Amino acid sequence: MSNSPLRFSVLALTVVMAGALLSGCVATGYGYGSAGYGYSADYYEPYGGIYGEWGPGYEVGPYRDGGGRRGPPSGGHAYRSAPASHSMPSIPTGGRGHR
Amino acid sequence: MQRRYKSNLTNAYDKAHDPATIKTRKKDFSPLYQSLYQSLYQYIRLSVMALALGAASTVPAMAAAVQMPALIQPANQEHHVGKVIFVELVTPDLVSAEHFYSGLFGWTFQATQDTNTTDGTVYAQAYKNGYPVAGLIQKSVPDNEHRQSAWLSFIAVKDVDATRAAAVQHGAKVLIEPRDVPIRGRQAVFADPQGAVFAVLASSSGDPVDVLAEPGEWIWSSLITRDPDAGAAFYQDLFNYEIFELPANPGKEHLIMASENYARASANSLPSAEPNRHSHWLNYVRVVDAVAMAAKVKELGGHVLVEPRVDRHGGKVAVVSDPSGAPFGLLEWTGDEMKEVTK
Repeated sequence: MSNSPLRFSVLALTVVMAGALLSGCVATGYGYGSAGYGYSADYYEPYGGIYGEWGPGYEVGPYRDGGGRRGPPSGGHAYRSAPASHSMPSIPTGGRGHR
Repeated sequence: MQRRYKSNLTNAYDKAHDPATIKTRKKDFSPLYQSLYQSLYQYIRLSVMALALGAASTVPAMAAAVQMPALIQPANQEHHVGKVIFVELVTPDLVSAEHFYSGLFGWTFQATQDTNTTDGTVYAQAYKNGYPVAGLIQKSVPDNEHRQSAWLSFIAVKDVDATRAAAVQHGAKVLIEPRDVPIRGRQAVFADPQGAVFAVLASSSGDPVDVLAEPGEWIWSSLITRDPDAGAAFYQDLFNYEIFELPANPGKEHLIMASENYARASANSLPSAEPNRHSHWLNYVRVVDAVAMAAKVKELGGHVLVEPRVDRHGGKVAVVSDPSGAPFGLLEWTGDEMKEVTK
C-alpha cells in the first residue's frame, strides 16, 4: 500500500504517454493543426496587415468578351505563355441544367 | 493458430509472474533482487493496464471524428485538375459565421454527424440551392497567436502525393501532409514559395461540373502575390495551367491561369498600398449587385475592405470580410443565363 502514490504516478504518466502516442501528430507553424481527430485542414492566416486601396487600373476579374483583350505573349517570364494561337478563355458559362 | 500462440504466451507470462510463483521463488532470491523483481513486475503490469486505458480513452475520440460529407452527391466521374473546387473557412464563432453567410447569400448549413470533437472543433457544411458551397470549421484562436480567420482554397488534383512532390521540388512548404479524409478524398495543404496558402484535393466523389456559378456561389479566385510571374510559373508546374497575359500597368500584373480552356484563376500583383500584406488566395462569390451586397455585409457585422469598383470584365468587384475578419470577394457577373436561354 505504501507504493500507491508511486503506482498512481506511473499509471498517470503512462496513460498520458499512451494517449499522446495514439492521438497522432499535430502540424505546427502557419497556425495549422489538426482540427479534431481525422481531419486537418483548418488554419488561421498569419495576420498580414489590412487591405488598402487597390488604386486605379488594378484589376483581378476574369476575361470576358469586350471586357479586355489579350496582351501579346512575351518571353522572359518564369512561366510558359500560352501559344498565340490560343484565344483567351473565360469562366464556364453553361447553365445549371448542365450539372 | 496465432491466437493459440498468443494465449500460450500469455499463460506462460501470467504463470511466471503469478504472486504465488514469485513467493516460492523468494527463497532463491536475495532481498534486494526480490524487491527489484517485484517493482519491475508491478511497473510492467501497471504499464499494460495504462496502455489499455489510454487506448480505451482514445479510440472513442477517434470514432467521434469529424465526418466530412462527399464533395459531390451523387458522385460523378468529373475531374478538373487546376479548378478551385471547394473552400473552407476556419472561424472562432460558427454561429456568428452561419448567421452572416445565411443572411448575405442565403446559405443553409448542416452540421456533420459527431461534430463535437474532444478539442471543441465543430464542422458545418454550407449549401446553396442544395449544392455544397463551403465548409465551416469552428476552432478557437490560440491565445498567444495573432491570427485571422481565412478561407482556404482547395484545388483539384488527381494525385495528391505526386502534387506534393512537385510542390516541394518547386519551393513549396508542406503545412499538412497528404492524408485520406473518409468520404471526402485525399488532401494536403501547402504554402507556395511566396507564402500563399492553398490546399489540393483528390475528391473521392468527383469534381463539380464546369457551369456558371449562380449568385451566392463561388465564381472566381485570385492569387494576389508579390511576384505574379513566379507565382504563375509555380502553379503552372503543379496544374499544367495555360498562362495568358492581360494588358496591365506596371506593378499591376494580371495573368489568367487556365485549364481545359476555362479560366480558373488570376495571378495579380500585391497592391503597392498593401506592403505588409502577405501573398494569399482570394475567392469571390458571384453577386448581382456588389454595392447592395457590400452594404448588407456592413449590416451583418462584416467590413468592406475594397469598395465596389468596375473591373475588367465589366462588372463590379469588392473585397469584404466577415465578422471574424475572413476576407473574400464579391464579383458581379450578369448576362450569360440570358444568352443560354436565347441560344
